[in-house]
Amino acid sequence: MIRPSPWLITLLLLPGIGLIVVFIGAVIYIAIAQSIGFYNLSGESGFTLESWDKLLARKSYWTAVRYSLFIGFWAAVLSVAAAYPIALWLRKPFKGSLTVSALLKAPLMIHGIVAAFLFLNIISFNGIVNQFMIWTGLFDAPRRLQNDSGAWGLLFLQVWKNMPFALLLLTGAVQSISQDTLNAAQDLGAGAIERFRRVIAPLTVSAMQAALIIIFIDALADFTFQTTVGPTNRQSLAQYMDFFRSRGRWNEAAGVGVTLMALSLAGAIVLAVTARLIFRKRPIGRVLAWYEIRNKEARS
Amino acid sequence: MITPHTLNRALMILLMTVATLWLVIPFTMAILWSFVDPAAPWTPDHLLPPVMSAYRWEFMWENSLLKPALLNSYTLAPLAALVTFVIAMPTAFALGRYEFRGKEIAKIAALLPLVVPTFVTAIFFTSILYQIGLAQYRFSAILFAHTVLFLPYAIRIMSVSFEQVRQDHINAARDLGASAWAVFRVAYWPALKPGVLATLLIVFIKSVEEFAIAYIVGQPGFVTVPTLVYASLGQDFNRPNAAVLSLILAVPNVILMLFLERLLKSANPALSSGKG
Repeated sequence: MIRPSPWLITLLLLPGIGLIVVFIGAVIYIAIAQSIGFYNLSGESGFTLESWDKLLARKSYWTAVRYSLFIGFWAAVLSVAAAYPIALWLRKPFKGSLTVSALLKAPLMIHGIVAAFLFLNIISFNGIVNQFMIWTGLFDAPRRLQNDSGAWGLLFLQVWKNMPFALLLLTGAVQSISQDTLNAAQDLGAGAIERFRRVIAPLTVSAMQAALIIIFIDALADFTFQTTVGPTNRQSLAQYMDFFRSRGRWNEAAGVGVTLMALSLAGAIVLAVTARLIFRKRPIGRVLAWYEIRNKEARS
Repeated sequence: MITPHTLNRALMILLMTVATLWLVIPFTMAILWSFVDPAAPWTPDHLLPPVMSAYRWEFMWENSLLKPALLNSYTLAPLAALVTFVIAMPTAFALGRYEFRGKEIAKIAALLPLVVPTFVTAIFFTSILYQIGLAQYRFSAILFAHTVLFLPYAIRIMSVSFEQVRQDHINAARDLGASAWAVFRVAYWPALKPGVLATLLIVFIKSVEEFAIAYIVGQPGFVTVPTLVYASLGQDFNRPNAAVLSLILAVPNVILMLFLERLLKSANPALSSGKG
């Protein structure tokens, strides 16, 4: 490749990367500045931690933090956990595997709001789920399944929407593991769980981390699913932030915005590090050493 | 005895059933609801709607904000696609064709809009618009925000396309005395073409689907298809009407996505550079 002058590179990067950095930088800056009293749209501006004091003293703030973390964490973990066995099953192509894969990935193409509608339609009071439950005799009468307080419906929808994404990332990673490595592990006496824990997971940890982080950030900052199918007794952070914004309370909205960004970053790091720590036991050295010996023996 | 083959078959039947249940039933229900005639409501004792008509479709077309929403969404999307593409080109060229210090950092910086939650971006972009007194230019503001938000996709796809342009093709064309335009046409364009189409299409789809920016920056009064569907799921939730709007949002995008997938698959370096 050619190495041009740094000036030319700067000039070429400015419209793209430059614009991104300025725009996102300005958004982050204004959120932080407004949370500490600057750039007020009305009244005096100046450094103050008043809005933070108010925010941190609110029970609803902590409820929103806990709730959003709960949704973000479980959406990421459940989506990845559901995607792994399917990715492993689809690792080697077989008759019909392409159709299965396409069907499973289809929710990727469906807009979140449309997904929310489809779900609402199914679980509504006179929806197909209620009718099915009555038909089986499990329900005596239709029940209200919408906006359940345990957020099960919301989590189901999150997994429905995000599992295909995890599957997309994991399929590629799982397919790149050579059959020899897996055979070697099996020959060494590793069972299915052991093979996953000590061979597959360590070898696909990068894809796992990417899926966990992206789904976590997406679900942590969710607004549409929460306001359509989520519980009505709790607010997500994005909903809470919009609540303050719509009332012109920009400083508090900014506080929630900064919290959301900080949690996205911290959560992403924690998930990435935890995944790495859990699956760091690299048996590959042992497996590969054994494989090398076998290869040498075969050659000689 | 259960052989792996039987197990695979059983698993496939099970999974196909589940996948069908989670796609076919929801969509069939949505389609049926969109055709429920108001004269005869669809009650639980009927398996299918008692009377079906296109009334809801006509009603939504005539009496809702569907027309302005479609106009806004489908004006924003091609403009966003074009502007994003033009702005991404120089950066993609630099990342795809040149080696320079800090290239990895530049690649990571290009992903920034995807890391910051879109709702935070939307709310504090509105705050900036208020600060600088431009909040009333909602269409331009949304267009601008969409452009920045979708730049990562355009930069990524186009830089990969630029990487696929083969230096020997460029050199050969130059050695044969080709003009700059001719070099572009024979060496660059075949490798870039699938990427260009994919970029335009992906930004178009993303823009049509985008909700947070359109919802926050567009308040009050600016409506796009996703914000209209969202509104229909709120307090005035009316299933047949929401079904019509959901289908209007979902169907064109699914078709475009299928087309995009085909396009991305065809973005094969060997094929696009003209060599097998």
